[in-house]
Amino acid sequence: MARLNDDAQWIVLMGFMVSFSLFFLAIVINQSTVVGQTTAEAVSEFPKNDIRGVRDVIVQWAFMDDNDGVFNNRTNVQKDIQILSLGRQNSVVNFTSTTTNTNLGLRTYIDIHYNNGVTAYNAYNESYSSP
Amino acid sequence: MVNTYGQLYTIEGIAAGLIMLLTAYIVVNSTSIYTPGDTHISDMQLEVLGSDALNMMNTAPNGSIAKSPLQTIIEHNDNAAFAAMFLNIVNNRTGNSPDSIQFVANMTYVRPDYTINSTPLSNSTRSLTGGEHAVHVSEWVIVENKIPESSVQRKRAELVEVLLWRD
Repeated sequence: MARLNDDAQWIVLMGFMVSFSLFFLAIVINQSTVVGQTTAEAVSEFPKNDIRGVRDVIVQWAFMDDNDGVFNNRTNVQKDIQILSLGRQNSVVNFTSTTTNTNLGLRTYIDIHYNNGVTAYNAYNESYSSP
Repeated sequence: MVNTYGQLYTIEGIAAGLIMLLTAYIVVNSTSIYTPGDTHISDMQLEVLGSDALNMMNTAPNGSIAKSPLQTIIEHNDNAAFAAMFLNIVNNRTGNSPDSIQFVANMTYVRPDYTINSTPLSNSTRSLTGGEHAVHVSEWVIVENKIPESSVQRKRAELVEVLLWRD
């Protein structure tokens, strides 16, 4: 150690490279868990299954036969869906359906309005061919 | 005596020290949030599995207009059939041993005075004690029955609600 020399520069350079790569690997590990958490949280908080479920039951409701005037099936089931949505899924649901004769044949048009305070889902004039 | 020998070694030493400190900080920081992230991911997967299982049970065979197995189960209040079918769907996996998912199912309906009530529908062998980390899934069905027993027979929309957890 008599004077400053420039031996072993490759070893010093390799040391820098290894420490920088460790540093970036640590950043990758740090980010990966955050990404997993926020993705899973977003999936859990979005009411995908609630919306699908209520849409599914509304389409079933729209095609219920209402010949039975005594029990008022469609009116009763509509009320059931609205009360249960509000009570068990915290969502206000309103929906109507009309069946008209068009040049495509008999078609049923469904309007759905769903709102749970965070997510709103609205479907206007979804049309299905009536059986 | 002060001289200028060894400057590169000194700089390298300081830089390496800083990098090691930063690396250690980031690694320690990331492990501290690992557990909540992990439970969110498995909750999400359990929720998807449960709602897919209920969806399968509420699908009529071959897409016919016949009643789905779930509608038949609810109209006959058949808790054994529900448990057998649900556990078979959610616990099936490749390999020798089945998974160990447990559940409690309730059926929620509207009373004639427009209040809501839930009755137990079915449950697995292990009962819910309150310490489980359960997720909630639900499925709508339209069935024709009398519930409560004193009401008239008519079509109703009812909600099958299931709590499931991995034992």
